[in-house]
Amino acid sequence: MEEPKVELDDLEVNQDRLKQNTIQLKNVRVYGSLNAGVIAGILGMDGWIGIGIYVAIFFIVSTCLAIKMNFKVKEYFKSSYDAYYSGIGTDLLLFLMIWVIFHNLVNIL
Amino acid sequence: MSDILIDDRIRDWVFLPIIIVMFMIQMFRGLLTKYMDNRKTAQKVTSKAQVAEMIDKNITQQSQRLARLHGLLPDQSFKMKRAYLCDHEQGILTKASQKPAKDPMQSMSMMNPVAMADMLKQNLSGIVFMALQYQWVSYFFSGFVIGKVPFPLTQKFRTMLQRGVDVQNLDVRYISSISIYFVLLFGGLQKIQQLMFGDDTDEFVDDTQMQMQMQMMGMPTMPSFGQQNDPGKLFIAERTRLEGVKHTFELNKSSDKALKSLKRFLIQ
Repeated sequence: MEEPKVELDDLEVNQDRLKQNTIQLKNVRVYGSLNAGVIAGILGMDGWIGIGIYVAIFFIVSTCLAIKMNFKVKEYFKSSYDAYYSGIGTDLLLFLMIWVIFHNLVNIL
Repeated sequence: MSDILIDDRIRDWVFLPIIIVMFMIQMFRGLLTKYMDNRKTAQKVTSKAQVAEMIDKNITQQSQRLARLHGLLPDQSFKMKRAYLCDHEQGILTKASQKPAKDPMQSMSMMNPVAMADMLKQNLSGIVFMALQYQWVSYFFSGFVIGKVPFPLTQKFRTMLQRGVDVQNLDVRYISSISIYFVLLFGGLQKIQQLMFGDDTDEFVDDTQMQMQMQMMGMPTMPSFGQQNDPGKLFIAERTRLEGVKHTFELNKSSDKALKSLKRFLIQ
């Protein structure tokens, strides 16, 4: 992660660091959903099991993030909701795309 | 129905080319927008209406900044600034909110050549490519099944996903090539492109989604022209917000905060 220390009292002294942290978070999540798509596609998972793999890998990524932050979310992000849970819907489409592509390439075509 | 065997050549000549071509067009679009942005010169504010608009925008920015950062100011300064903005007769915000609501400015903003050029550029780099790709895919690659989606879908999706394939009772999972186009479009080749090609810190906006939303809304909204029809309401809202601000000067709390962080530091 980028440098820590975001100060968020009423003054809202958000520095550029919060922005950089969120960019890194987005990158990490994209990697996570790409990997999830590749795994689900190659293993030929079907239907809801595939989406379950996506959710599972999403939470694995969040756990790794938590370990790297030493569980002190407030120092790096605005809230734990932001850092752990908030982006799950946006990367779902990316996962679906990669899943469809790899599923077709490996299993069907 | 048993599994359909799909020829290897479909994969070689249809599936992979669609993906590769869409990805390259995406990258090309990125380069194109960068090129056009570099060539954009500073726009001169010429017409009176534009000057008035800039003034309004600056006023709102000033009041928003004051509402956000009021803790940095001591009491007297804050009261002065707030009075400058919100006073009953002479405050800037009250004067601005009493201006009559402008007529729909669409006709006037259309005549502004710079804004039109901007809109054309946005359209070019977005919608034209989308339409082109759609035409290309549906012309060359229609009429056969290209793959299978891994998840079960209802019959409603059949028309969208199997366009050109007229076999009834074919499992909805088997998709035609136009649906691969849609999957790639919505799935976000942009994110992969951002991942691979750049840490541009201002690439937060994804413009395909925004443009498609704009198209779906039906009317051409231009981001540079704010809420034309009722600026008075905006100013009234800003004014009530400023008047409701409870001001404390942060320096008064600073010794407590320093003590707290020192304690936290020493305990670790």
